[in-house]
Amino acid sequence: MIKFINTNKWFNNRHILKNINLDIAKGEVIVICGPSGAGKSTLLRTINKLEQIDDGEIIVDGMYLSDPKTNLTSLRAEIGVVFQQFNLYPHKTALKNITLAPRKVRGLSKKQSQERAIKLLERVGLMHRKDAYPVQMSGGEQQRVAIARSLAMEPKVMLFDEPTSALDPELINEVLDVMTSLAREGMTMVVVTHEIGFAQKVADRVVFMDEGEILEVGSPPDIFLNPKHPRTKEFMSKVFHIPVFGDAEEE
Amino acid sequence: MKTGVKITLLLLVTTSITSLLLGTFIAVMRISRSRFLRACGTLYVEIFRNIPGLFWLLFFYFLFPELLPPEIGAKLNGYLYYPVVAGILGLTVDNASYVSDILRSGRLAIPHSQREAAISAGLSRMQQYFHVLLPQMYRAALPPLGTRMVHNFKNTSLCMAITAPELTWATQQIESLTFRGIEATALATLFYIALAGVMITLIVTLEKILKIDISSITHSRS
Repeated sequence: MIKFINTNKWFNNRHILKNINLDIAKGEVIVICGPSGAGKSTLLRTINKLEQIDDGEIIVDGMYLSDPKTNLTSLRAEIGVVFQQFNLYPHKTALKNITLAPRKVRGLSKKQSQERAIKLLERVGLMHRKDAYPVQMSGGEQQRVAIARSLAMEPKVMLFDEPTSALDPELINEVLDVMTSLAREGMTMVVVTHEIGFAQKVADRVVFMDEGEILEVGSPPDIFLNPKHPRTKEFMSKVFHIPVFGDAEEE
Repeated sequence: MKTGVKITLLLLVTTSITSLLLGTFIAVMRISRSRFLRACGTLYVEIFRNIPGLFWLLFFYFLFPELLPPEIGAKLNGYLYYPVVAGILGLTVDNASYVSDILRSGRLAIPHSQREAAISAGLSRMQQYFHVLLPQMYRAALPPLGTRMVHNFKNTSLCMAITAPELTWATQQIESLTFRGIEATALATLFYIALAGVMITLIVTLEKILKIDISSITHSRS
C-alpha cells in the first residue's frame, strides 16, 4: 500500500530522514515511535506530500509521489490525516467540518454528505454535538470529529500524527477507542504515538526511529520487551521507567 | 439635500462592495505562491495607499477620461453622473488598498495547520481559499475591517471636490444658494453621525455573532 524506497530528506543541511525503506501492506497497522526530533512526524507527512522528500521514492497505492503526473489532490483525497492539534475548521460546525470535503472533492450531494456525516458522528459517539463549533467542544471531542472528518472521504489509508498528545489524560482513551475499532475493521493505518498500550494492543508492526533513521522494525513485543538495538533498549527503559533490560536479570 | 443623501448612500454601498472585492483579490495576490503576483499586489498597495484618496478622485475625474480613446473619453465627460462614477472608482481603489492589507493581516492570524488540513482533505487551491481560508480571514480581520469601512464612508464626502452631488456637496450648495448653511450643516452632521453609528452597530453585532469562530482561531494557534 505504502512503500518507501531509499527515502532521504534534508532540512538546512540537517539530515532528517536517512535512507528510509519501509513497506506497509494493505490493512496493516504501523506504529512509529521514538524520541522527539526523530523524524517520526516528518516521515508520516511525506506520505501525502505535506513534506517533500529530496531523494528516493514513495509509492502510495501504486502512485509514485515523485512523478509530476501524479494527481496530488486526488491522491490526498485517499489519505486521511489526523493531526495532533485536530485542525478542525473553526468557522464550521462539527457536521459541516465533516461534509465539506465529501461535497467538494467527492461531489456528494448535500443530503448524501449529511447522511454519511451523521453515521460517522454516531460512530464516534458525538451525534449530540453535530451543531457545535470546535471551540465549544473538548479536545477529545474535537479529535473524534477530526477522525470522522477524515473517514467521511472513505480513505484507503489513515495517518495519525500524535493524535492524543494534545489531550488531557482522561480524554485520551475515547480517541484511542475509536482508533482501535478502526484498526479492527482492517483500515491501513500509520500512527505516530507515544501510547505504548495502544501500540501493543493494535499494531501489527512497530517502527522505532531515532535521528531520522529507522533503527528497528518488529512486532510490538519484539520492540517493547525485547529490543535489539542499544538505542531502542535505552529508550524503552526510560519509557517503562525500569532498568535497562540487560540489568533486569540482576534483580 | 435628499439627492445628497441618496448619492452618499449610493457611494457608500457601491464602494463598500467593490473595495471589498478588489481588496480581497489583491490580498489573495499578496499571499499567493507566485512571486510575480505577490509583487503586483504589493505594488498596488504601495501606490494606492501612499497617494491621498482625494488625488485618486481628481485623477478619475479629470485625467482618466483623457487616457481613454477620445470618443469614449468625450462620452464620459458628457455623462451627467460621471462625477459619481469617478467617485466610485477613486474611493474603490483607495479603500481596496487598505482592505487588502487588513485582510492579509487576517491571513497571518490563521495557523498554517488550517491549510494543511484543507490540503490533506484533497481540496483544490480554489476550494481551500473559498471554504477554509477566506472565511477565516474575514472573521479575523473583522474589527479593523469595520473601522476601515466607516472611514471609507466618511471619505465619500471628498467626492464634493469633483462635484459629485453627495451630501457634503449638497450642504455647500444650500449654503451658497440660500445662506442657510448652519441648518444644512447641522442636518448633514446628524446624518453622518447616525449612519456611522448604524454601521458600527452592525459591525459589532456581526462580531458578536461570529465571536465563536474568532476566539477559536486564536485558540488553535498554538
